[in-house]
Amino acid sequence: MSVLPPVRRDRIVGELPQCFKKEASLHSRTSFHPKVVSACQEQRTGTVGRFKISKIIVVGDLSVGKTCLINRFCKNTFDKNYKATIGVDFEMERFEVLGVPFSLQLWDTAGQERFKCIASTYYRGAQAIIITFDLSNVVSLEHTRQWLQDALKENDPSSVLLFLVGAKKDLSSPSQYVLIEKDALKVAKEMKAEYWAISSLTGENVKEFFFRVASLTFESSVLAELEKRSARNIGEVVRINSNDSNLYMTTKKRKSKCCK
Amino acid sequence: MALWGIPRLEERNERLQDQGPSRSLAEALCVGNSLLLPWDRFSAWLHCICVVGFDLELGQAVEVLYPPHSKLTDKEKTNICYLSFPDSNAGCLGDTQFCFRFRQSSGRKVSLHCLMDQFDKDLPVYLKKDPAYYYGYVYFRQVRDKTLKRGYFQKSLVMISKLPYIKFFQTVLKKIAPEYFEKSDPCLEAACSDIDRWPAPCPGTMLNLPIMGVVIKVRIPTCHDKPGTTTQLIETTPQTDAHISISLPTIHEVDLFRCFSPVFLHIQMLWELVLLGEPLVVMAPTPSESSETVLALVSCISPLKYCSDFRPYFTIHDTEFKEYTTRTQAPPPVILGVTNPFFAKTLQHWPHIIRIGDIKLAGEVPKQVKVKKLKNLKTLDSKPGVYSSYKPFLNRDEEIIKQLHKGVQQKRPSEAQNAILRRHFLELTQSFIIPLERYVASLMPLQKSISPWKSPPQLKSFSQDEFMKTLEKTGPQLTSRLKGDWIGLYRQFLKSSNFDGWFRTRWKEMTQKLEALHLEALCDEDLLVWIQKHTEVEAVDLVLKLKNKLMWAIAEHLPVKPDTVARLQMHIDSIISALPEDLQGILLKTDTA
Repeated sequence: MSVLPPVRRDRIVGELPQCFKKEASLHSRTSFHPKVVSACQEQRTGTVGRFKISKIIVVGDLSVGKTCLINRFCKNTFDKNYKATIGVDFEMERFEVLGVPFSLQLWDTAGQERFKCIASTYYRGAQAIIITFDLSNVVSLEHTRQWLQDALKENDPSSVLLFLVGAKKDLSSPSQYVLIEKDALKVAKEMKAEYWAISSLTGENVKEFFFRVASLTFESSVLAELEKRSARNIGEVVRINSNDSNLYMTTKKRKSKCCK
Repeated sequence: MALWGIPRLEERNERLQDQGPSRSLAEALCVGNSLLLPWDRFSAWLHCICVVGFDLELGQAVEVLYPPHSKLTDKEKTNICYLSFPDSNAGCLGDTQFCFRFRQSSGRKVSLHCLMDQFDKDLPVYLKKDPAYYYGYVYFRQVRDKTLKRGYFQKSLVMISKLPYIKFFQTVLKKIAPEYFEKSDPCLEAACSDIDRWPAPCPGTMLNLPIMGVVIKVRIPTCHDKPGTTTQLIETTPQTDAHISISLPTIHEVDLFRCFSPVFLHIQMLWELVLLGEPLVVMAPTPSESSETVLALVSCISPLKYCSDFRPYFTIHDTEFKEYTTRTQAPPPVILGVTNPFFAKTLQHWPHIIRIGDIKLAGEVPKQVKVKKLKNLKTLDSKPGVYSSYKPFLNRDEEIIKQLHKGVQQKRPSEAQNAILRRHFLELTQSFIIPLERYVASLMPLQKSISPWKSPPQLKSFSQDEFMKTLEKTGPQLTSRLKGDWIGLYRQFLKSSNFDGWFRTRWKEMTQKLEALHLEALCDEDLLVWIQKHTEVEAVDLVLKLKNKLMWAIAEHLPVKPDTVARLQMHIDSIISALPEDLQGILLKTDTA
């Protein structure tokens, strides 16, 4: 049997990490949803309890620092030389949230134009989208709307979590930063995304950011799982009064409704 | 592409040597070492990926080759071209997947694969790489396209690999090929870059392999797994989101029940034919049916390795076509899968022919019982069935047939039917092989006959008569309910290449075990006392011999106790330091030589 090694000590999340800016955050609760906390305590997290995986995609313009962001977090390295990503990079990062093992698949997509045609293949099934821009380059912020639009084509906008991340914070002067942050917050609110500013060079906010991503995706998958379960319970009640083929039709209908 | 230049193999080899001989490339692959060059990880899985298209003037041609520096001889290219397309007009409209196997051209330079044979030693014998052959995994698309001159789009995406992991590569191709046909080169480039990031194909570990936005989870079996348990070893996550991850319960197994359902009543006979290495041809309507059936045949004697050549899909253009179809010699002991109707004529002198129609998904079992006479196979569209004059040695197992029949009636899921059939074959093969294992183990000399001061004792030689005598008391009747002429079956088996291959492996293992025991006996001796009683010349001789043994033990991975190698090295060092200084210098120098 292949037993996974224990989760690294510095990947254990016990409390909800806080957002970066209150005005552009996914939610302002200071702790995990009480339902999630009690579900984890009672170990009835279903699939969440067993090797639950979430898929995260990182998108954004060429050379805004997508790969550097991931490398700083996953490998704690920073390479000053630029090497374009061919197609997609991939990292798997394992966490333990509220005592439950949880993995993030991080798909780091290429910013290059010629790989745009295949991007949709890689976008499918993402639970969170990290839209990255360069804090020292206003144009890359402007392009984030387009990146989001492309990524959402393959995903359910109502359930996917969005993060707008400004990278290379070390490269912008405080006055420059104030200016671009104002714009970025505006874009983030418009997208309903959570805003973060990070520096992969210094490591500023990188760990905090990924812990927040892991925690929020974990929270939303547990909530979704709990909801599915209560829906299933209702389905069982229905079965008492109806035959099997009817049940099939009703569940199918329900499914298509929530996917829209 | 410029970033992915041709690997500077020589330079890397130098760097490997700098790090000492204990660092192998396989290890580097496992730990993600900086010694790795672009494409190293890719090469651990695949030799190359090609796109074969149809050119109106040239016929089939390799249009794209990834990685661009990968080497294929012209002969290999020709074979790949023909083997990547269906060779009969049977309706392969839409998408088809199949697999072929072809001979590697001789005289090729040592490739990276050879450096990674370390993985091979932990693999079950039937999954070990065959140095002389490549597998080709094909995804073929044929659709109407009015914009093209021919009116049809016909293209194959082909993965060439030494690894016989059919289920796995089929899954990977299914992810890549449809995307490639729509989005062209960047897709292939991205897929190759995904593969070049995969962990090494290490047996026994759970591998997470990202490809085209999903992660394929798979485990390569090891020779230490209990046979028949491989499929249960992977935790099947209830998670059904195929956009995120796919858990493959098996890396190589084909669906036996589905493949054998057209000739279901003859499974006992087919098992014997494969076991005995009889010439066998499968005539099927499409390459996917021929290749699956041939692979099912080859795997039905698992955990025994099928040792002769087999071609899941063989065409009239194959380099070996003449060699295998000549009428001047008896048919070769190989299994061929063919689809071209021409073979019905070319191979009509073959002793055993399986003809299958369309494999039905529901696993319908045909009713006809009789094995057909060979002379009936003159016409091109003979009915499905087994054509042979072979009389099985063992009686048919009516119980398994009844059980599977019942499963068909009760609509038992195909996976369950497959598992039942696989277990049946496994038990049958094990019942057959256990007496041989037991007898061969008795050829090992007694432990007490091993003396550190003599060369290791010889294994006793295999005697057919002696073996046959053991069958009376400890034969297959102990574990199998099947009646019949087991003796006759063994007699025939001992002449087959499958026995030869099996016996060679056992012989090698036992010789190594003897060497290992001998080495351990040497380590337990007080060698310093010994050299005091002997001359300097004898001491030097001993040192040289020990050094040789040590090198051999490391190179051959002798099954010694973990500390033996270190202890032997200590012995060598202490003997050397007990010798005069000038000799010490010379003996230490030979270390590096």
